[in-house]
Amino acid sequence: MSIGPEYYVVLSAVLFSIGVVGVIARRNPLIMLMSIELLFNAANLALVTYARVWANDAGHVFAFLVITVAAAEAAIGLAIVAVTFRRTPFVDVDEVSALKG
Amino acid sequence: MIAFWILAVLMVASAVFTVSAKKPVYSVIGLLANFVCLAGMYLELQAEFLAVIQIVVYSGAILILFVFVIALLSSGVRPFDVGPDRAPRIMIPATILAGLTLIAITVTALRTPSAVVHTPVGVTGDANAFGSVGDFGVALFTANLLPFEVTAFILMVAVIGVVLIAGDDDAVTGSRRKPRRPGKRESIVKDTVAR
Amino acid sequence: MLLYFLWLLPLFGGVLLWAFGPQLKSWAGPIGAALIGVGFVATIVLWNDATAPGGLHVGLVTWLPGWSFGLQLDRLSLIWSLIITGVGFLIHVYSIGYMDGDRAFARFFAYMNFFVFAMMTLVLSDNVIGLLVGWGLVGLASYFLIGFWFEKPSAVAAARKAFVMNVVGDVGIMFAVFIIVQRIGSIGYADIFAHFGTAFGPQALFLVCLGLFIGCAAKSAQIPLHTWLPDAMEGPTPVSALIHAATMVTAGVYLIARFSPLWSASADARELVGAIGGLTAIAGAILGCAQWDIKRILAYSTMSQIGYMIMGVGIGAYDAGVFHFFTHAFFKAQLFLGAGIIIHALANEQDVRRMGGLRKQMPFAFVAMLVGVLAISGVPGLSGFFSKDAVIYGALESGHPWLYAVGVVTAGITAYYMFRLLFVTFFGAYRGNVDPSDLGIRHPELAGTASSSGHHPEEEEPHRHAPAWLMSVPVGILIVPTIAIGWLDAAWVGAPWKQFFAGFFPRVNEAATAAPFSELVSTGLVLLVVALGFAIAYARYGAPAVQRDAVARLRTETVRMPAVLVNAYYFDAAYDALLVRPARALGGWFDRFVDPHVIDAGVREVAISAQWLGHLFRSFQTGLVRAYALSIAFGVLCVVAYYAYAFAFTGGGR
Repeated sequence: MSIGPEYYVVLSAVLFSIGVVGVIARRNPLIMLMSIELLFNAANLALVTYARVWANDAGHVFAFLVITVAAAEAAIGLAIVAVTFRRTPFVDVDEVSALKG
Repeated sequence: MIAFWILAVLMVASAVFTVSAKKPVYSVIGLLANFVCLAGMYLELQAEFLAVIQIVVYSGAILILFVFVIALLSSGVRPFDVGPDRAPRIMIPATILAGLTLIAITVTALRTPSAVVHTPVGVTGDANAFGSVGDFGVALFTANLLPFEVTAFILMVAVIGVVLIAGDDDAVTGSRRKPRRPGKRESIVKDTVAR
Repeated sequence: MLLYFLWLLPLFGGVLLWAFGPQLKSWAGPIGAALIGVGFVATIVLWNDATAPGGLHVGLVTWLPGWSFGLQLDRLSLIWSLIITGVGFLIHVYSIGYMDGDRAFARFFAYMNFFVFAMMTLVLSDNVIGLLVGWGLVGLASYFLIGFWFEKPSAVAAARKAFVMNVVGDVGIMFAVFIIVQRIGSIGYADIFAHFGTAFGPQALFLVCLGLFIGCAAKSAQIPLHTWLPDAMEGPTPVSALIHAATMVTAGVYLIARFSPLWSASADARELVGAIGGLTAIAGAILGCAQWDIKRILAYSTMSQIGYMIMGVGIGAYDAGVFHFFTHAFFKAQLFLGAGIIIHALANEQDVRRMGGLRKQMPFAFVAMLVGVLAISGVPGLSGFFSKDAVIYGALESGHPWLYAVGVVTAGITAYYMFRLLFVTFFGAYRGNVDPSDLGIRHPELAGTASSSGHHPEEEEPHRHAPAWLMSVPVGILIVPTIAIGWLDAAWVGAPWKQFFAGFFPRVNEAATAAPFSELVSTGLVLLVVALGFAIAYARYGAPAVQRDAVARLRTETVRMPAVLVNAYYFDAAYDALLVRPARALGGWFDRFVDPHVIDAGVREVAISAQWLGHLFRSFQTGLVRAYALSIAFGVLCVVAYYAYAFAFTGGGR
């Protein structure tokens, strides 16, 4: 590594924060899901960084598993989005408020 | 070093673009850029296998999935219209939270000393070098075999779940299901504009 | 073994008759009576065992060290047991006839049997806790039986009054029991009598005796806890005969006799008991002169006679007091049952002003009542003569001249009002068809304040009337002991009564002052006073010239009756003003203020706060996905912050 791991971790944190803001502040469910993917990747970056720091493959394996689970989650999430907003005019999560009250 | 900084700037920019794009397709492009840069980062960190997986799975499969769903949902008259904003000032607490999280992680990262262990790595490209396919394979199939199997199981469950949720065909369930039209109580999305 | 039966058989009868009353119908009476009769036979059979030196003692269970419960049949409880089962049996048989046709026939006998069980528990216990249990149970049985015709509000009120007053007495007796058990550590009589000398100083002993006596005063209707007894006449006449003449009200006498060692050791307690007994005797007698209801006359006479008994055991003449109990049980039961015959025959008329001339129409009842009246007045030769003289002379012997005087005067007053009863009821012309207001009766249906109770015609089912012998035979049987039993104490026959209790009761350890005159002179004095009473009664009520004018004279007497007598010395009014009204006011205050504003408000506030909490949580449920995402992000921040703190600031724990 040419630079210390702190830089990578800070970068990961920045990406994570951006992802958090994206999840909360956007109303389009697709963009929310993409923000969630951002979060996953931020975590992956941190994992791989420390895998390199400790020269331990477990970090890689964990990151691999995260990718896999993220894929599954994205699939299901998108399926839900597709079903939910199939024939509605607004693709807006604010409209999904049947749990109100 | 330079590679890191270029990639880092690109990643942050693309992330911001993703989160703030007007149309979902633009977000997908931003995300694509982000993933590619991330793959570059992995290469920096000598995780070659993971970098390739990142491209193939994430950029290649998941983003395409997103694109498909966007296409599916765009088939309306006014795609991606939004209703009234019901939480107009939610950006404030969101940014505060995100900022605090950032600070917390940064502080932690900066205060915990971590020296780089000198890795007896082989030359990048060597068969069993650190981060290579062989090395990764050994790790995956010996020490972490159980998580691997469980992950496979998760994927299977995900596939079944997707089919159940989104499939309205009787090919899987074997029963005739009429195409669902949202009735009075059928949709959880409020129908504020008459179709 | 037989002792167990003696004790438990009435309980079994009570439960059986109570549970299967509707099925048993008119068999309940014979069954109930038979069980008591078996008890009486058992008592006779156990006579020899009981009169053995230690008495008959059977242990039941030892619960704690020092707390062992058992039954004992010694001479004292033998006497009481004889009366309870013997007279009880006769009264049960009588009740089969008296309560015939009553809707709740079986329930009556269930309660009567239960009462007998309770009274047996009281007298057969060998420990003070069993006594207390029996004490409370007889109060309960009395409540049941006084309020037997519970559709009548006056009966219910009387039952409640009796029970509450008994509870007041219970408090006293319980305190005494507490002190006893705490100081002596055991509940058995044997242990108590063995150790009380060392365990109690004079003040403690007096307090214990005082507590016990408060219980006696309530149970035996002594002043000031006597006001429940006249009202208790609301119960059916057999109840009055059994409970409020022969047995339950004598429980106080039993208590004092049983605890004679304690009483013999405390002169102060004895003085108190003697004084109260004497006071009650004379006060009750005076009130008896002012009553117009047969049962109330007899009730006050009971109160007065028990005053004699209490006075007797109070001054230390235990065997005299107990002997008076013994004779009184017979003649008082006799009087009540005779009165019951009259009431039953006259369709529940109880006011003597509306009777008269019954001597010709009901000769048997007349003879029975005559014998009873002679006995209670102390006419020589009958039982009351011997027992009353024993008590009165005992007062003189033990150096209580004032009590002696009270006793003598009361004997005269007793003769007066009992013969007044006899003359007004049985002599002259029948006044039943005279307009009540002519007789001075203002509220015919409340004649004499103990309302004309008895069965209501609507309570009777169509039935064949029970044979009349059921009522007359027991009364007839009772005539014999009423006359004869007194001879047990006569010196000529060797005074078997005194022999019976020789050495049983501890002698009072005070210097017995020599009586100023002999027993013979005292007897003569009493006879003189009794004759005086009879003469006055005859002059006012019995003389033929008077009887022709009966209606006018009765009206005059009614109208001119002093208010203090009519209101029973205002005891009831005083209790009402001092206790009942404040209690009611307090209850009303609680009902108006505390209940709605404190208790209800508390409950309401709990409900409201639950609702408020729900509202609060409801405000979280916005239904907005983004708000939920925000809260998740907040959670993430918390976790990160925790780890940041753990790793970065405290050196990192693994």
